[in-house]
Amino acid sequence: MFIALRDLQFAKGRFFLMGFVVALVSFLVIVLSGLSAGLTKANISGLMELPATHIAFEDTDHLGYRNSMIERYMWEGWESAEGIDALEPMGHAIFNARTEDDKPIEIALWGLVDDSFIEPPVNEGIALGGPDEAGVLITRGLIDEGLKLGDLIVLDRVLTKLRVVGVVDDYRSIGHMPIIYAPLAKWQEASYGPPGGPSPGEKLPDIVFDFVSVIVMQLAEGVDVAALDDEFETLTLDRIGFYEASSGYTDELKSIRMIQLLLFVISAVVTGAFFSIWTIQRTKEIGLVKALGASNAYVLRDALGQAMILILIGIGIGVSGTYFFGNAIRNTELPFMIETGALVTSVVMLLIAGVVGAGLAIKRVASIDPIIALGRDQ
Amino acid sequence: MSLKVENVSLVFGDGEEQIKALDQVNMAFAPGELMAVLGPSGAGKSSLLAVCGGLRTPTSGKILIDDVDITQLSEAELTRVRRDHIGFVFQQSNLVPSLNAVDQLLMLVHMRGRKPNAKDREKALQLLDEVGMSHRLKRRPGEMSGGERQRVGIARAFMMSPKLLLVDEPTSMLDHQRGHKIVELLVRACHEHNVATLMVTHDQSILDVADRVVDISDGKLTERVSA
Repeated sequence: MFIALRDLQFAKGRFFLMGFVVALVSFLVIVLSGLSAGLTKANISGLMELPATHIAFEDTDHLGYRNSMIERYMWEGWESAEGIDALEPMGHAIFNARTEDDKPIEIALWGLVDDSFIEPPVNEGIALGGPDEAGVLITRGLIDEGLKLGDLIVLDRVLTKLRVVGVVDDYRSIGHMPIIYAPLAKWQEASYGPPGGPSPGEKLPDIVFDFVSVIVMQLAEGVDVAALDDEFETLTLDRIGFYEASSGYTDELKSIRMIQLLLFVISAVVTGAFFSIWTIQRTKEIGLVKALGASNAYVLRDALGQAMILILIGIGIGVSGTYFFGNAIRNTELPFMIETGALVTSVVMLLIAGVVGAGLAIKRVASIDPIIALGRDQ
Repeated sequence: MSLKVENVSLVFGDGEEQIKALDQVNMAFAPGELMAVLGPSGAGKSSLLAVCGGLRTPTSGKILIDDVDITQLSEAELTRVRRDHIGFVFQQSNLVPSLNAVDQLLMLVHMRGRKPNAKDREKALQLLDEVGMSHRLKRRPGEMSGGERQRVGIARAFMMSPKLLLVDEPTSMLDHQRGHKIVELLVRACHEHNVATLMVTHDQSILDVADRVVDISDGKLTERVSA
């Protein structure tokens, strides 16, 4: 890259501008990747943390956590099947609620059986199943809202009272709402019982406790899921499937991926356009170098090397910019998270897009006739 | 190394539009000999340079460099011949804009696939000194005068010790005095380095320094006996 390196030094202004554009596109792509990861976490982190291989839903046309209603015979049927390593019925419902100081919050209430394999570890306070039947576990998102151990939460409309007895110091949410883990019975009371719960001295009818939302399972290899689904009128999804069942998750991801894809295309087009103009401007110089004995391979290697340096520096600046951006918004509400895998993928994709764009533009150097060095169109 | 041009014709177009840029050209010259080809614009001077330098393949005839007919070579082989055996001196501005005077010469070493070493650098400095450019080593073409650019072009032409030097209108962009100095420099370098040199020009005033003078008109060569 004898000429390429000296060109970079010689035409600093032009290359700086181009490098800046590459850096800007890289920054946008990686920020989007971070937002994508952040949104994913905000949407399905609760599901991601579930130590489950499959989740069974009610087999309806409107598949989803909110629409699914599993009856006792279903989960007990699954329980009795071969190859089930672990299984728990789980309730899911979205509630508007208020804190003690009347602050409105929107939460996802998950009902779990005490001490089940899907109950998250508690960092502060106690686990579910303590003396307080209304005792619940809150997660990081609600800690950020100011909730703490001992606080009272009242669910709107149903007026169910919940008391914070444990804190899970981790962001766990579904559909961008922080999860509150409640005893299954309390969840069933809030979901199917009368507003305010049973009257003093009375018990809720047993039927209230015969329904949950989904069945969370660890299945062994070789379980005939389809047959069991047929038998118990469920629809069982693996991890990818039960992530996608979260409302809006797939659409959000699609939108972000589409923007990322467009940015990769823009990156290729911008670098392609720059190197097209640059190559046209250098036509005479390239003709001269070829007349002096440079092979096509030499000239192509030189030009591509130059493009690679420019693109790599641009991407490097873009990555550094994203790092500082990420740090700046670390403690804000923006769902942003950089994962190494996603970062590497973005960088590789940007590099490919840039090199393809530049490569398509640069390949014309092979067709430049060295005769132009004589300064005449022979 | 010798150059022989045997019955070379270069024809553009066909039918009534046909133009004979070179018409049955024959010539030969030996190492250390400077042949000037004189002719007006459109006479075929550049075409002659182009076919001798492997930049154009003639329609018919042979170009023999050390008995190798370069008209039969592939593009890649022609590139190698240019790189290893031919030196070019182009018109004024044919330097790479981003390279300083020393790098213009070292670039040719790099093109051969190796990193320039101290010996190469020493040779480049010596050649630039020979052409009176030792005080402008770090200047880029944009920071040089027309004469200085031409001097660097001459030094570059000798960098890889060519056996054949092709010189294209070396004085066309220079005033008379500077042009004459450049030609004198070329003649001296051609004799000192024992290089067969073909120089095309339309400048009559520089012909007294050439070993042989050939006129070209409508693609045909005529040697001046008195040269």
